[in-house]
Amino acid sequence: MMSLWKYLALAALVGLTVGPAAAAGDADRGEGIHAQRCEVCHGEEGDGAGAGAERLNPPPRDFTMAQYKIKTTGFEDILPDDDDLFRVIRDGMPGTSMPGWSDMLSDQDMWDLIAYLKVLGELEEEEPGVPVDFTTQIASSEDSIAKGKPLFEDRCVECHGNEGKGDAAKSLRDDDGERTWPRNLTKPWTFRASDDPKDIFARVSVGIAGTQMPPFADPKSKKKLTVEERWHVANYTASLGAAGEPVNPENTVVKAARIDGEVPRTPDDPSWRDSVPTTFYLVPQIIAEERHFTPSNDTITLRAVYNETDIAFLLQWDDRTKSIPGDSQAEKISGPGLAEDSVAVQLPVEIPEGMVKPYFVMGDTARPVNLWQWNSGTTDAPETVTLVNGRGIDNIEERDAAKAGVGANGSWRDGTWSVVMTRPLATAEPDADLQFVEGKFIPIAFAAWDGSNGETATKYTMTTWYWLLLAPEAGARPYVVALVVMLLVAAGLLWWARSAARRAGQAEG
Amino acid sequence: MPRLPKLLQAVLAVAVVYLGFVVVFDFALGQPIPKSLMIMFMFFVVIGVLMVFTFTEDGTRELVAPIRALVEDPAKKRLRNLVFVIVPLAAGALAFNQAQPSYEAPLELRAIHPAPPSSVELYDKRYDLLSLENPYRELETEDPEQFRELVAEGADVYIENCHFCHGDKLDGQGPYAQGLNPVPLSFQDLGTIAQLQESYLFWRIATGGPGLPDEAAPWISAMPVWQDFLSEDEIWKVILFLYDYTGHRPRSWEAE
Ligand code: HEC
Ligand code: HEC
Repeated sequence: MMSLWKYLALAALVGLTVGPAAAAGDADRGEGIHAQRCEVCHGEEGDGAGAGAERLNPPPRDFTMAQYKIKTTGFEDILPDDDDLFRVIRDGMPGTSMPGWSDMLSDQDMWDLIAYLKVLGELEEEEPGVPVDFTTQIASSEDSIAKGKPLFEDRCVECHGNEGKGDAAKSLRDDDGERTWPRNLTKPWTFRASDDPKDIFARVSVGIAGTQMPPFADPKSKKKLTVEERWHVANYTASLGAAGEPVNPENTVVKAARIDGEVPRTPDDPSWRDSVPTTFYLVPQIIAEERHFTPSNDTITLRAVYNETDIAFLLQWDDRTKSIPGDSQAEKISGPGLAEDSVAVQLPVEIPEGMVKPYFVMGDTARPVNLWQWNSGTTDAPETVTLVNGRGIDNIEERDAAKAGVGANGSWRDGTWSVVMTRPLATAEPDADLQFVEGKFIPIAFAAWDGSNGETATKYTMTTWYWLLLAPEAGARPYVVALVVMLLVAAGLLWWARSAARRAGQAEG
Repeated sequence: MPRLPKLLQAVLAVAVVYLGFVVVFDFALGQPIPKSLMIMFMFFVVIGVLMVFTFTEDGTRELVAPIRALVEDPAKKRLRNLVFVIVPLAAGALAFNQAQPSYEAPLELRAIHPAPPSSVELYDKRYDLLSLENPYRELETEDPEQFRELVAEGADVYIENCHFCHGDKLDGQGPYAQGLNPVPLSFQDLGTIAQLQESYLFWRIATGGPGLPDEAAPWISAMPVWQDFLSEDEIWKVILFLYDYTGHRPRSWEAE
């Protein structure tokens, strides 16, 4: 199956090559549509101060500043091509709250809006500059990607990180002083435009206006790249997307595989290699006070294995910052209020027999949950693991993690945390702890805190209930069953044919 | 026109129903039926078809005639030998697959719009849901200007609180929708607010997921309990906005 971002890339490609024919827009009509559809975010005056603005990151654009991220005109031109504007309004900007409008607005509506945006930005007299020349394209190939790699390492890693996960070594702000993060290039589904090399080439050439992403076509820049180099680096950047773990919405089960030896206790244990990863979206906690509207973590990838006595989980999520309070580098990047990073596994205390589960946000009074939580530690104290039983978000009972045998070990590298959590399948307190059972679907949920993004206590990201299955090995059973069925069916058919033949014989004789 | 053999008719009937399911759910609705549910449906379809075709004795005879001939007719020996190898092998393969441990998650069926209680306790007051009405609805005709203002205030409440899940186009596709299960409802759909009364919406909004009865699986619904965050007034205004933006009309007692 083609994944969503491939569809998006394809759609973008079609959009780039056959772009709509620009039509004249009516700014007055556009103003009316803006008031009806766009004002709640972009503000009555188009200045980005709509009702939703405070709870959105990135914030809605201030159209009076006339700064556009998606531009295929020159790096010095303020005005994007009309087709660029048309495209963002039609398709929206993935990874933000800016939706695509093609299902609700006609082409003419969008051209009218564009005319109005130009009025707001005082761009009516402005002529779009020379468009980016895509005919110079160098098709992606192993050779081109190999040439792009050293260029990327030289020009891009200072912001995008060694592996492109956006783990900037410095704190970046946009022109309005709003905190921004360099894109995680392994998650192409979050690109504002797309990961088509043409799109990346345009962004690298022109930069992203209003943010720190610089224009590498600028001949005055010390870091400038030639046309050819920009294509190589674009092809290399596009290849980074293969490292991302996109969410497959049909997969709702974390499959724990049975292994023979000891369960792994560290993230780089080789036995993780054989287990199947499952990735879920993380969504911010906006259900109970105090709510969290501007999350930074967006997905989490799980693996699990078990043996006769223990189970181990490997939790991995891209977090741009290793948040260790006391660490000067971490404090410089995060700003004030640095807290530990953290991750948690949530399980029901009792495996539900029917459909009824504990409330997915930390359980309820009738049906409590176990929460195993790992914290990244500070410069004074090492990482810790805690165990609590939740009967609701404000009804938490602290328990002894060591006594229940919950262990954890984490490490951070190039923008990704990898944390292993382990526990014996059975504990001494079956009334207070989940007892793992082979072959049963067990509800499971996850939560993560980014300590550099003000996430502590009820401000965190989480998943809804998914499933955990300790999948016993099938062993010889399927073969035996198949053989028995085969023999039975063959014997039945033979018996039928024989008795029919005998009857025919009798009839003749 | 030559009549198709009964057996072929029966097989075709089952195949057509199966394809129908696939076309409607996979392609038209884009929501494939889970495998286990499909097996159950098809089981009943096969039983139904068999019942129709074996309604009379002649029918039964005609249906099984080709199978009988295959097993009993000495002239069909070659074909028979072939079938006698293929059928047990196919049965074996099927059994092998069935005996593999399944990773398919258990099915969870829930009522999306359960019957409301006749009254609820909210904001330290008791509301009779049968007679409860939106106090601002009458302004729609009596004072359109003030009504527009209330709708605009409702839009602000919506964008500040609801669009994260239900989408700013009210299509159920907000930025966090894909991380939720069950997914947020689309108010543009004819099956949601267009079918409901404003008092029902008031109840669903004020008490949220945890206020649902058990048949609607309150433990997995991510809908917050809005009486904790919004005033009674704000809820009525956001309801005005929902109907205004989608162009739907609330259901009312008079209309029925
Ligand atoms: C739910 C809030 C929301 C609504 C409604 C909304 N936008 Fe946006 N829009 C945003 C956000 C947030 C951004 C900034 C994204 C970013 O900077 O990465 C944005 C950015 C934009 C941009 C800048 C594109 C660029 O290349 O930089 C344009 C143009 C735009 N919106 C047009 C519209 C129009 C036209 C409408 C109404 C039809 C609209 N928006 C409605 C949230 C919204
Ligand atoms: C000084 C920091 C900095 C450098 C150097 C930098 N970037 Fe970026 N980049 C950013 C920031 C910040 C963003 C996110 C902008 C935003 O908020 O939309 C970004 C976004 C991007 C995007 C996302 C485009 C989209 O559609 O969303 C791509 C692709 C990208 N950069 C590629 C590169 C490449 C390739 C290089 C090296 C040639 C590079 N960047 C160098 C800071 C930088």
